[in-house]
Amino acid sequence: MKVKPVNHAKAAEEFLDDAPHLTFHDERLWDMRQKRDQQMHLLPEWQELRSRASAIKEHTLANLPEYLEQFEANAKKNGIHVHWAADGAEHNRIVGEILEKHGAKSLIKSKSMVTEECDMRAYLEPRGVTVTETDLGERIQQLDGQMPSHIVVPAVHKLVPDVAKIFAKNYNTDPNDNSPQSLAESQRMAARPVILTADAGMTGGNFLVAETGTFVVCTNEGNADLSATVPNLHIATLGIERIVPRMADMGVFIRLLSRSALGSPITQYTTHFRGPQKGGEMHIVLVDNGRSARLGMEEFWTSLKCIRCGACMNTCPVYRRSGGLSYGAVYSGPIGAIIDPTFNERKYSTLPFASTMNGSCTNVCPVKINIHEQLYKWRRVLAEHHELPFVKREIMHMAGKLMGQPTLYRTAINGTEVALSTLPRFVLYNWLNPWGKHRELPHPVKQTFHSWYKKNRLKDKKESQGGKA
Amino acid sequence: MSSRDTILATLRANRPDPAAHELPPVAVLGDMDAGKARFEDALQLLGGQILLPQEGDTLATAIARRFPDAKIICSAVPDFEGTIRLEDVTSPQQAAATDVLVVRSPFGISEMGSIFLSEAQLNSLNSAAHLTQHIVVILSEKNLTANMHTAYVERPEFHTANYGVLMTGPSATADIQGVLIRGAQGVRSLSVWWE
Repeated sequence: MKVKPVNHAKAAEEFLDDAPHLTFHDERLWDMRQKRDQQMHLLPEWQELRSRASAIKEHTLANLPEYLEQFEANAKKNGIHVHWAADGAEHNRIVGEILEKHGAKSLIKSKSMVTEECDMRAYLEPRGVTVTETDLGERIQQLDGQMPSHIVVPAVHKLVPDVAKIFAKNYNTDPNDNSPQSLAESQRMAARPVILTADAGMTGGNFLVAETGTFVVCTNEGNADLSATVPNLHIATLGIERIVPRMADMGVFIRLLSRSALGSPITQYTTHFRGPQKGGEMHIVLVDNGRSARLGMEEFWTSLKCIRCGACMNTCPVYRRSGGLSYGAVYSGPIGAIIDPTFNERKYSTLPFASTMNGSCTNVCPVKINIHEQLYKWRRVLAEHHELPFVKREIMHMAGKLMGQPTLYRTAINGTEVALSTLPRFVLYNWLNPWGKHRELPHPVKQTFHSWYKKNRLKDKKESQGGKA
Repeated sequence: MSSRDTILATLRANRPDPAAHELPPVAVLGDMDAGKARFEDALQLLGGQILLPQEGDTLATAIARRFPDAKIICSAVPDFEGTIRLEDVTSPQQAAATDVLVVRSPFGISEMGSIFLSEAQLNSLNSAAHLTQHIVVILSEKNLTANMHTAYVERPEFHTANYGVLMTGPSATADIQGVLIRGAQGVRSLSVWWE
């Protein structure tokens, strides 16, 4: 059976119906955007940092095989086991085998978008491994059976009472607890014993450093460092694109990452793993899962520069008013809309249309990905590949014909004025016009610019010419 | 062909022209103030504290005043006693009972208010820095570096430590309705003591 495209607009509609959640979501993300701006204005070198970050990433992507080999050689020299996974299935198999070899039944992990991409928990749990997410937001999402709705703040679409209900069910806490402090404390108390008795720990990672064989993990809660240092077995999963050449390059990226993400100068923890701890074992899984193919897409390869800060999501009016879950994909928001179709073009064919094309995503991107231009390019690609729904395709087709012929266009526009003022609502607002679902069509104008111009300016011209003559 | 070789071969076939994307020189940008005041402002912005000595205070009396209920005060430094020495803590499970851990950081970053710790300061029990309820970090003003660029360029620890963490204030979260909470899953507080 053919996979159905995600119905983003319908899911967003449900989100829009819930005023308290919608208002909080919109304001919270906009607040993060504003805090980012405040940080940016404190640094006169901000644009220089963005340019450097972009250039370093583009250079690294153009030399990716060499840098990955250099990383692998250095990491191995430091005693790290390096694995390569072509796709999610292979990633999960590798992790499963490492755990099995150690007889590990309890895995604690920090947030990792790559393990979400691979749907790793669903693979490990039937094999007898209990996977516990230790990041507060990610844990809330795990207990609620949902994907993260934002790559930095996974449960940003939830309010305090939602969390209280989920914790009450799973941690036996007060279902009416309305204090975020006490709910966070419940998570700490519930997580500690699990962390202290876990057989293995897992983290994602933000950066790989080729020069030293290091991977760098940027977090705030302390859960990633606990997951990595309490058990003696640490497995880290990173996408192959997350690499930089030199340790000194980290200065550029660390200065941009948290400022862009949360508007804080740096994450509370910036941890550099260069080798296993004393008595411990360390594994790293380098995951491709479509990235090497994306590198060959002339118009889209620069999306691999992404450092997963989420700034494009926070600034996007569509994301803020539709919620991450409405995208039906691991990656949501503008960055999701340009990388999700590389995973499954048909399933995510609707996402590049979830944009107003305002370009704000491009403006805030710390590594200068031309996100809104790629959204536009995806629309074209999807049209060429016949992945547009019938109504959108036919309307575009008709609009193309109309706009290509001035006389026909003008006749139609004149007709529209009459139609807008005289046609009954059911003719104007129906399934053929999804645009009109939440919007009123513009008031009909008495006169188009073209007809006004014809009447007045041409007359003036004639008169002035007449005067001269 | 192994996945490794397949991935590398695909990357070689698909990559953009390397000649068109040169590596820029190492960036050292921004404010070069490596001062104590800048460090303290940055640290406090991220919820860290300065353990200020009062008249006649030693580190021990300052800690006793700041943490009156602390039962287990673990020392990772030779010049402070505590109730237990980190060398005598042998497992994370034992470290989890610590109320206050006292460590010495080899350097701090003025831009961020960050302090650095590695296995060298933690007697290879890295989890101790995260399982303790509170951490007190001894730092010298002369070991401050200006910003992230100078830190990565100057400090050898980034090339030698197996585990190197920059801690900037205590653990924190804003995952529940955006409310910022200091003291998430790692240390509940981080205090710097100037030496």
